[in-house]
Amino acid sequence: MAVPSLRGRLIRMIMLVVPLVWLVATGLSGYAAWHEVNELYDGQQQLFAQQLLNSAPTITHPAAPYEHGEEGEVDGMALAVWDAGGQLLLSDGEGLILNPHPGLSGFLTLDTGDKRWRVFYLSNRAYSVAVAQELEERWEVVRGLIAAQWLPWLVLVPVLLLLLWRGVALGLRPLERVRDELQHHPLDAPTPLSREVPAELRPLIDGMNGLIARVAEMLARERRFTADAAHELRTPLAALRVQAEVAQLSTETAAREHALAQLTLGVDRATRLIDQLLALSRLDPLQTPANAALLHWQAIAERALAEVRHTAAGRAITVELRQTCPYAEVLPLRGDDTLVGLLLRNLLDNAVRYSPDGATVTLELAADHVAVRDTGPGIAPEWLERVRERFFRPPGQNQPGSGLGLSIVERVAELHGLALQLENRTEGGLIARLVRA
Amino acid sequence: MRILLIEDDAMIGDGLKAGLGQLGFVVDWFRHGKDGLAALSSAPYDAVVLDLGLPGMDGMAVLAAWRRAGRSEPVLVLTARDALPERLKGLDAGADDYLVKPFALAEVAARLRALIRRRHGQSGPLFSHGGVSFDPVARRATLSGEPLELTARELSLLELLLASKGRVLPRELIEEKLYGWGQELDSNAVEVHVHHLRKKLGSAFIKTVRGVGYTLGES
Repeated sequence: MAVPSLRGRLIRMIMLVVPLVWLVATGLSGYAAWHEVNELYDGQQQLFAQQLLNSAPTITHPAAPYEHGEEGEVDGMALAVWDAGGQLLLSDGEGLILNPHPGLSGFLTLDTGDKRWRVFYLSNRAYSVAVAQELEERWEVVRGLIAAQWLPWLVLVPVLLLLLWRGVALGLRPLERVRDELQHHPLDAPTPLSREVPAELRPLIDGMNGLIARVAEMLARERRFTADAAHELRTPLAALRVQAEVAQLSTETAAREHALAQLTLGVDRATRLIDQLLALSRLDPLQTPANAALLHWQAIAERALAEVRHTAAGRAITVELRQTCPYAEVLPLRGDDTLVGLLLRNLLDNAVRYSPDGATVTLELAADHVAVRDTGPGIAPEWLERVRERFFRPPGQNQPGSGLGLSIVERVAELHGLALQLENRTEGGLIARLVRA
Repeated sequence: MRILLIEDDAMIGDGLKAGLGQLGFVVDWFRHGKDGLAALSSAPYDAVVLDLGLPGMDGMAVLAAWRRAGRSEPVLVLTARDALPERLKGLDAGADDYLVKPFALAEVAARLRALIRRRHGQSGPLFSHGGVSFDPVARRATLSGEPLELTARELSLLELLLASKGRVLPRELIEEKLYGWGQELDSNAVEVHVHHLRKKLGSAFIKTVRGVGYTLGES
């Protein structure tokens, strides 16, 4: 498909409209000119006939009869004078034979086959005259008038097109400036494009400025995230390095084995951090869950429970399921089973991690909410809001963690139109509840 | 050399304590800024290893509080942030040196030794006195060029005496320098170590200042 060109379209329009206007204007002015010319010549004919009639008595000899085929002066005029008896006194012209119409005063149109004439008759008691004019004469004048009108048009149209061509180019110049500005616009700078453009371009510029702001914001967020992630990775790496060196230095078996065990834990921890980072980076750009279908809470809950029970068993923690309604009625929601599974796993994982050995963690499924309760220490009130921040971990933690779990939970919840509520339970422990936002 | 370590990360803290211990330091480890802040006054530390990303109280705040209180112990800052402004901020807040994670244990030890040495106004890496010389990096001592067989505590005591040349070290101070928190010690542990050192280096090497403590003998 050809790229539509504004200039081309404009020129085509002009080429179509200008002749049309031209035609109509010509028709109208031709019509008007015909009227004017008729009026003018009719008046002249009448005047001439009057003078002729007045001077008829001075004609002394009868005229020679018409000589056919003789070409007289070609002025397109003919005249004849008769006496009351219809005797031709004078005639002049063009081979036209005018018949006397005594007593007639007025105009007639005469058709002689190849020519048409306008004839004016005027009579008094003694004489009668006729003055005729070839209609072609009048047409000639009208055509001349129209031609005189056409000439400037013919000269001006190319000039008009040229001016238009330049004018459009001039009008589009701001676009070229915008293009230059865009070409040199740094991706991460939220500085908007100049709005010093023709009003027609404003919506485009405003739209682009919106895009620029969003792109810059996204880049800043990504950059911050990458920087944070890199820094967060330094800590587990530092731990690995230190423990590795301790293992090398240790002469005692017990110390070496302790360091090696720490090393293994450190690798697990770094792995987990990377998993969490990947999960978050995949979640971040999503606007809606990638695969949205009605959630299968039963499958999600069973899988999440199975996975977390494995770790919980090592510390004699019971993970139980409490249902207040059938699976089919649990928080009906369209979403991605995998993502919601990730959310539940993170919540359960946290609950198990911070619960004392032998405690119970409960996953609660209800029609209006899904919650995870634990009997751990809860979260100090001053940190309750901050724990959602990326990489934030409240002080005094013995449990290793990435500080990303709740960020992931919150992000998945957000994607599904859910809100995460964190509350310390009065009887001890934390409840993490998901409700519709 | 007794070191105060303030590090919130369990694994790094555990590793530094064990590793620096292996390298001849006595390390007390605190995990929270507030505890660490108070700890500096509780024992005669030679240097501090301070993690900046501490929960509860930021490492920078701890450092600033110490410097305001006039504490001049050399502080080696550990941080995950390596941007120049961060480093400058740390140094401006009164840090003496700076290490970015992940760091090598050996480098932490080397920098701590350098900080301590500088504090004692000694620039060379070797300590020597009366034919005895001590290499704090290799943790080896020689007497007239002959290698000496010394235990870890004896090496630490020797290092302490050599680093405090010309000063009398009270017995309690020696005790505190040689033993970290929670380490068992007998009431006469210092005397026992002094006794062993004298046996190996010659009795004149360490002089007893009655009622006060010990100092190096005439060389």
